[in-house]
Amino acid sequence: MTMGASPPRLLAMSGITKRFPGVVALEDVSLDLFGGEVLALMGENGAGKSTLMKILGGAEQPGEGRIDIDEKPVSLDSVRAAHRHGIALIHQELMLAPNLDIAGNLFLGNEGAARSLGILRRRELHLAAGALLVRVGLALPTETLVARLTAGQMQMVEIAKALSRKARVIIMDEPTSSLTLSESEHLFRIIRQLKAEGIGVIYISHRMDEVMKLADRIIVLRDGRRVGTLDRAEATVDKIVSMMVGRELTNAYFPARPPKAPEPPVLVVRDVVVRGAPRPVTFEAQRGEILGFAGLVGSGRTELMETIFGLAPASSGSMMVDGKPYAPRRPRDAIERGVYLAPEDRKRHGLVLPMTVAENISLPDVPRYGRFPLLNRKAERQVAEAEVARLRMRTPSILQRVVNLSGGNQQKVVLGKWLAMAPRVLILDEPTRGIDVGAKAEIYRHMASLAERGITILMVSSDMEEILGMSDRVVVMHERRVRGILPREGITAERIANLMTGGTAEGAAA
Amino acid sequence: MRRELGMFVALLAMCLLLFWSNSDFLGSSNALNTMRQIAMLGIYAIGIGFVIISGGIDLSIGSVIGLTGVIIAKVSSSSAPGLGLSLWIGIPCALGVALLIGLAQGLLITRLKLQPFIVTLGGMLLVRGVSQTVAEGGTISFGDAPFLQLANGGILSVHGEPLLPYPVLIFLVVVAVGTFLLHFTVLGRYVYAIGGNREAARYSGIDVDRVETLTYVVSAGLAGVAGVCYAAYIGQMSQQVGVAYELYAIAAAVLGGCSLRGGEGTVLGIVIGSAIMRVIDNGINMFQLPYLDENGAPRIWRLDPNWTFIIIGAVILIAVVLDQLVHMVNDARRTRRAAVSGTGPPTESVEVEPSAKTP
Repeated sequence: MTMGASPPRLLAMSGITKRFPGVVALEDVSLDLFGGEVLALMGENGAGKSTLMKILGGAEQPGEGRIDIDEKPVSLDSVRAAHRHGIALIHQELMLAPNLDIAGNLFLGNEGAARSLGILRRRELHLAAGALLVRVGLALPTETLVARLTAGQMQMVEIAKALSRKARVIIMDEPTSSLTLSESEHLFRIIRQLKAEGIGVIYISHRMDEVMKLADRIIVLRDGRRVGTLDRAEATVDKIVSMMVGRELTNAYFPARPPKAPEPPVLVVRDVVVRGAPRPVTFEAQRGEILGFAGLVGSGRTELMETIFGLAPASSGSMMVDGKPYAPRRPRDAIERGVYLAPEDRKRHGLVLPMTVAENISLPDVPRYGRFPLLNRKAERQVAEAEVARLRMRTPSILQRVVNLSGGNQQKVVLGKWLAMAPRVLILDEPTRGIDVGAKAEIYRHMASLAERGITILMVSSDMEEILGMSDRVVVMHERRVRGILPREGITAERIANLMTGGTAEGAAA
Repeated sequence: MRRELGMFVALLAMCLLLFWSNSDFLGSSNALNTMRQIAMLGIYAIGIGFVIISGGIDLSIGSVIGLTGVIIAKVSSSSAPGLGLSLWIGIPCALGVALLIGLAQGLLITRLKLQPFIVTLGGMLLVRGVSQTVAEGGTISFGDAPFLQLANGGILSVHGEPLLPYPVLIFLVVVAVGTFLLHFTVLGRYVYAIGGNREAARYSGIDVDRVETLTYVVSAGLAGVAGVCYAAYIGQMSQQVGVAYELYAIAAAVLGGCSLRGGEGTVLGIVIGSAIMRVIDNGINMFQLPYLDENGAPRIWRLDPNWTFIIIGAVILIAVVLDQLVHMVNDARRTRRAAVSGTGPPTESVEVEPSAKTP
């Protein structure tokens, strides 16, 4: 960097490359961080941010590249080694033990000072913990059980924990994703205070306003490569977005979809109360429509989809499919009516990874292939071959185990399994998460052609480009309720962003 | 299939070594008895295989084996405290109880979302206690009843020795039915899917609870069948029969390629695993090496029977360590292959991915 000599360079990562089976997660990425600096790390899902930070936190080892701390090469071969070098990683899902109190959590694995012959000296532990809580502005007794804390308070405990280890580099991964507005403000104050103390902060976030407010520099990753660095002075939201998204995404990336004439609704959801939600939800999805669902993480979109798919019955309200009452109590009920779900977490909910492509595709429908209760392997093979061809899956054979496929091809297996069964309503929850750009474009094309054939698609997405590029209409959810349904001509990024953060379509200051 | 082949080769090598050291190993009475032992273990090992492949565990089968025998003895033995009723009442009663135990455990595990380990641990202790109570803490003998023929008799007799003892016959039927169910029916596919990923199976509309419950019924049911054989084989029942048998069955299943994570394993593998367990058991008695002592007198070196558990334990550990090493090497190779072919700069091309070919 061409900065002056005054702030010391804490950290330099150079030429970091990391490969996983089937994907290159990081390719020749470099990053440096100075004392008293907030460096924002931005990029879409799957851009490689988390992998890079896991490497810095000692949880993953890079295939190539070097890491220097205080201008000296170091090897971060374990989480402990990273701690020793003053690096603290605060995960998006907080890693606290809810059954221990604050003091116990602060010194977990680092009881060092307060331990003599393996026995914890409780008084000293709590005294030290109290001092740390003051630094993060958390006015709570150190005996409070962590299970009783709010998300914001837990975040502060995590920061205090990092401070207890004398961390000089603190990495925060989406720290505000589950915080309230005032908790976020508190977090920002503490971050500025950390800066003043000379600590370097790496801040990962999707929220532009936070990044613009906090960051001294912004590094943008895309598809495992560093696409640019911006100083605060030159950064604008447009610049960042175009770097994150890349030019080819805005053009020719989404298939052209002419506006469609209104058609009769296929799925009607009326006053449905999802378990744990404060308000009923009402919407309709038309034949051949792609209905986008926008919202922040935790806005209740996935829960709504699970209710429609019968995974969690609705507490009240009614639904109709093709004009007939529809009240699924198990996924089987939904499947019988042609309502299918491709879940958000493919590996956990969508695929049996050790099974083959053919076995995964046939799973929901194999009893109907004939010869029941026997397996009809011939029909299974034919169906699988047809889906592999239709979706242009890249697999050496239908007998390949799904675990060996790339993310994009795995998603195609999930799609293939449902496409083989003539869907009426296809729910796609984050259909392109963690998928490379090429496979993304293909999946968008398939979605467009499915809609053209009259299939109704509910598309949950946290990717604004995707929502804008694919939806006929957009349902925006916030805190588990529908804040607005935007018709095609009314879809703008600004309106959606306002609605999903709790404002109105016309502006946040409602 | 790789695992099965490896274990089969190991089994064959063990048999050859034993036959080389002591030709009595394949002598008619030892071979017959080893076959019977393999068969009886194999019957309930296949049962627990259903549970393990679906991702569960069943610790109660040793107790179920014991209780089955005790019930038959109680109902059908003519010596005290037996009731002296027909075997046609005793055996169905015992098998019915075994099935009910499996059903009860399966329902507790699936409906109340309890952990299989805990439920079947409780079941193991409770069923053992019931055996003890029914047997009144003692032993019930079958005397000289024709029932004993079930274990000792068989078909195709040569010189009064059956070529195919009934337990082996039963075992072959269980192998055939088990193979059919697991590998050729939709139900079997579901068992593998649930073991591979329970949640994905549920999201695919499979009635996971019902299939899982059924695996526990199969496990307990086959333990019951094995229990009938053991009762006839031993000739008298006490609450001690069947203690720790579940551990042998789990070991046999794992040796044969089942993973306790679920989703992996075959009936053939379990059969090979059971054979290995019993051949080791038998081999410890049979193995011998002739040598000359310092005076030049011929002597025979034998394995110390006290080493039985050391050897069995070591074999299990070596098998899983080898398997894990193979896995790790394969994973590393796969990563390297991915690195070599690479995915290239994704902006460059959308259509072509050199790492895989389109069929």
